Amino acid sequence: MNVKTKDFIFKTWIIISAIIVFLIVTYIFGYIFINGLSSINFEFIFGDPRGMPIGSEGGIFPAIVGSLFLMVIACIFASILAISTSLYTVFYAKSKKIESIIHLIIQSMAGIPSIVLGLFGYTLLVLNLRLGRSLLSGGITLGIMIFPYIQVRAEKTLSEVDKDIIGSSYALGVSKSYTIFRLILPLCKTDIISAITMAGGFAMGASAPIILTAAVIFAPIPKSLSAPVMALPFHLYMLTGEGISLEKAYGTALVLIMILLIINITAACLNITKRNDR
Amino acid sequence: MDILKINNLFVNYGDKEIIKDISMNIKRNKITAIIGPSGCGKSTLLTSLNLMLEVNGGNFTGEILFKDKNILSYEKDNIRKMIGMVFQKPTPFPFSIYKNLTYAPIYYGTKDKKELDNIVKTTLKGAGLFNEINNDLNMLATKLSGGQQQRLCIARALTVNPEVLLLDEPCSSLDIQNTKNIEEMLLRFSKDYTIVIVTHNLAQAKRISDYTAFILDGELIEYNETEKIFSNPKDDRTKEYIEGIYG
Repeated sequence: MNVKTKDFIFKTWIIISAIIVFLIVTYIFGYIFINGLSSINFEFIFGDPRGMPIGSEGGIFPAIVGSLFLMVIACIFASILAISTSLYTVFYAKSKKIESIIHLIIQSMAGIPSIVLGLFGYTLLVLNLRLGRSLLSGGITLGIMIFPYIQVRAEKTLSEVDKDIIGSSYALGVSKSYTIFRLILPLCKTDIISAITMAGGFAMGASAPIILTAAVIFAPIPKSLSAPVMALPFHLYMLTGEGISLEKAYGTALVLIMILLIINITAACLNITKRNDR
Repeated sequence: MDILKINNLFVNYGDKEIIKDISMNIKRNKITAIIGPSGCGKSTLLTSLNLMLEVNGGNFTGEILFKDKNILSYEKDNIRKMIGMVFQKPTPFPFSIYKNLTYAPIYYGTKDKKELDNIVKTTLKGAGLFNEINNDLNMLATKLSGGQQQRLCIARALTVNPEVLLLDEPCSSLDIQNTKNIEEMLLRFSKDYTIVIVTHNLAQAKRISDYTAFILDGELIEYNETEKIFSNPKDDRTKEYIEGIYG
């Protein structure tokens, strides 16, 4: 085979792969859109689930709010830890050994199957720490899941800040912490927020970590962190798994996908504005 | 009077020895130029003086006295406040001009808006930028021209009232006009500040400095009044270097 044919085959393979991915994504979206659209109305989005079995009628509003709450708690929990860890590895860790141990731990964390995380959260938070099946337990479990994702992106952003700019801050006699809070973090703000937003979307779509730690079949909008919640992925799982209502399930899936789409587009827009500023 | 005294300074990065046994004194309120070929250790010598060396991962042995007191006995941040530094590449913070200049004063506790405005005004005037950018204080500093950026960085170094100003080839990326602006500014400054400038531009050293040190392979070859160095170098290597460039 000569170089030209090889090149041609390779190129065709790339194009075909791209088309396949595009078709699959469009198909999933289209399929859910067509099937789910009929059940979307005001009552579905802003009403409580009703009927017997519950969910066969009414709406999914508590699940939407529950999912958003879970996402926010997961993001707060994960980003505090992730940003601190990355600041440590980039600016404070003196030994390469400690740094690589931290990286190893984070990579291992990223590899934990989400159902195992769910069991971990159940044992530690729900049972041992007596937090119960609650918004807080679920949020923290999801937070552990998205922590590695935010940490890796935050660390990359922080380590890409121009060393000379950091140096000229030190050269003014300014302390490291002031440099970090007043110079480095403001510079990395957009990138880090975009990473947190995308991770939030990831957390919102996950059901395994919350099955045992937070989600229930029916609950009102939670009034405290210790209350159990409804969540979109879990509600979807119940609607289909228990054969309650396929129509409502498609509607729920459509709402979930739309929210995730909005979150991801927001994150992408943040990235674009950042690039234009440069 | 000598504001900085360097005694038997050795500097190394890991196994590599960059500065070998340099001893020299730097006179207060004078401009001292450090010349020498690329990679001879000029910049390393400069970064030793405000302890920026350790940020870059280097170590030194020997003694550096600032106002007759070992620099290691000062707080590290304090030494950097008193001995300001300007880098080769302009390094404005990607904030507004105003924020660039109030960054350090706010850290040192100046909160009053009027006082901050005053610092901005004085330092911009000092750097000869005031008339050029007075109306655009909220403009992003990175949008300034290269020469303006470098002058802003000098202004920023002045916001903390240093006594010594270290400049590491501040004009190497600038055109003739901007170089001239900065040279005139440094001449004006020498009344109030002690200036140490690393330069590969011999003509520049000759134009602005009172003293010149010639460094070769980490060793101080010759250190004298600029006029004497250029008119009557004592060491053959100095002579060759100076003539080599002109010839």
